[in-house]
Amino acid sequence: MIEKLDIEATPRTPAVAFDFANHHLKISGESYPEDVTEFYGPVFIALDNYLKKIGKNKCRFDFELIYLNSSSAKAIMMVMDKLEDAAKNGATVEVYWYYDHEDDTMQELGEEFGEDLESAKFHLEKMAG
Amino acid sequence: MSTDDLFAAEEQVIAAAQELLENGRFHDKADGTLYADLLKDYQKLFRTTRRLMRLSDRNEQQLNALTQEQRLANEIIATKNKELEALSKKLSKYLSPQIYHSIFTGAQNVEIDSNRKKLTIFFSDVINFTETTDKLESEDLTNLLNRYLTEMSNIALEHGATIDKYIGDAIMVFFGDPESKGVKEDARDCVRMAVAMLRRMRELHAEWQELGAEKPFHLRIGINTGYVTVGNFGSEDRMDYTIIGSAVNLTARLQSYANIDGILLGHETYSLVKDEIAAEEQEPIKVKGFAEPVRCYKVLGLYDDLADEGMVIREETDGFKFLLDLQKRERSEAIAALEAIIARLRE
Repeated sequence: MIEKLDIEATPRTPAVAFDFANHHLKISGESYPEDVTEFYGPVFIALDNYLKKIGKNKCRFDFELIYLNSSSAKAIMMVMDKLEDAAKNGATVEVYWYYDHEDDTMQELGEEFGEDLESAKFHLEKMAG
Repeated sequence: MSTDDLFAAEEQVIAAAQELLENGRFHDKADGTLYADLLKDYQKLFRTTRRLMRLSDRNEQQLNALTQEQRLANEIIATKNKELEALSKKLSKYLSPQIYHSIFTGAQNVEIDSNRKKLTIFFSDVINFTETTDKLESEDLTNLLNRYLTEMSNIALEHGATIDKYIGDAIMVFFGDPESKGVKEDARDCVRMAVAMLRRMRELHAEWQELGAEKPFHLRIGINTGYVTVGNFGSEDRMDYTIIGSAVNLTARLQSYANIDGILLGHETYSLVKDEIAAEEQEPIKVKGFAEPVRCYKVLGLYDDLADEGMVIREETDGFKFLLDLQKRERSEAIAALEAIIARLRE
């Protein structure tokens, strides 16, 4: 069993909560790290290791992002690609994109990300509150 | 130019590639599949580029909006700061500058608190102020009183006094808190200030008479040194930074016993300033709360001033002190005494 990945949020980086045992993965908060590869590198490794063994299992990925810089957006697109590939290979992948109801940018970004997903199921949801 | 125009060339490339595929220009199927995959990757890369550009532009817009908000907030803060500064400047006039300074620098807390200190206290009162100004119009009286208090306060502040309060025409100040040069120097500053005030009063007499005061103002001044309790007294909503204690009451009594345009010192003050100030002991006065009559001293002047006027001869260096008061001793007496000393020195 792959160990959980829990990274606490900082003012510049999001919280990462990958509960692999329950197939529930989540990234939330703001993302504009000084070095995007340094932050997302370990996240990609953990995700790749999990998706390699996912098989036909069901997995849910929640994005609750408030602000993204361009480099982080590219990293998120890479996460989406990985999820899409896993879905193509038979896993049931559900992607939830939560956006602040007053934030058009994050809503539109979610919509565009959703358009790229063919095998993974995409849900666009307003954040609670 | 619209955003679409920016990417017209890329759109044309995609359209041309799609046309190529649709027209079946690839005879080799594998080549066609490879070309289709490449086109798909190119389209994805194109979407990513547009997405990132749009995100970057929006982030920049948000940043600009935040910068604008920040600028407006800074302007509001600057305006509020100016208002607060103006307000605190107005409020500062109700406080002694030292108290204001110590509160605003955080050196002193604005809370009910006190401590015991040895201070030199000063009281002055205008003799028969009410009778002297009885015939004046209110505006003239206000001008006269404010001018008097302003002049005296300026002198007090020049000498480092903490102005405790004005009680009508009476002034109460003290030396030694919140700043102190040491008990001795505080006492000396206080007496120097009192002498300067009386000097200034003489200069102002002519001006006041022109304003309509039939009789010129005259002062009585009392100065005393002793332990008092100094601090904030009152309630949490309204407090005064002041001093209390028997030394304060004694100073008020000394003031009431002082001669017209005279300064009466308590014994401790006299002990601290006697090297610099000529003073004459008076009959002890009886003061409520003091078992024994209180010794007191009338100030004759600063030795430096008296020397300039030829009334004393004073020489003082380390290990040598000479003072001759020509108002008390004849010159011949002094010469005889000095000759006796010289003879002893030659033995």
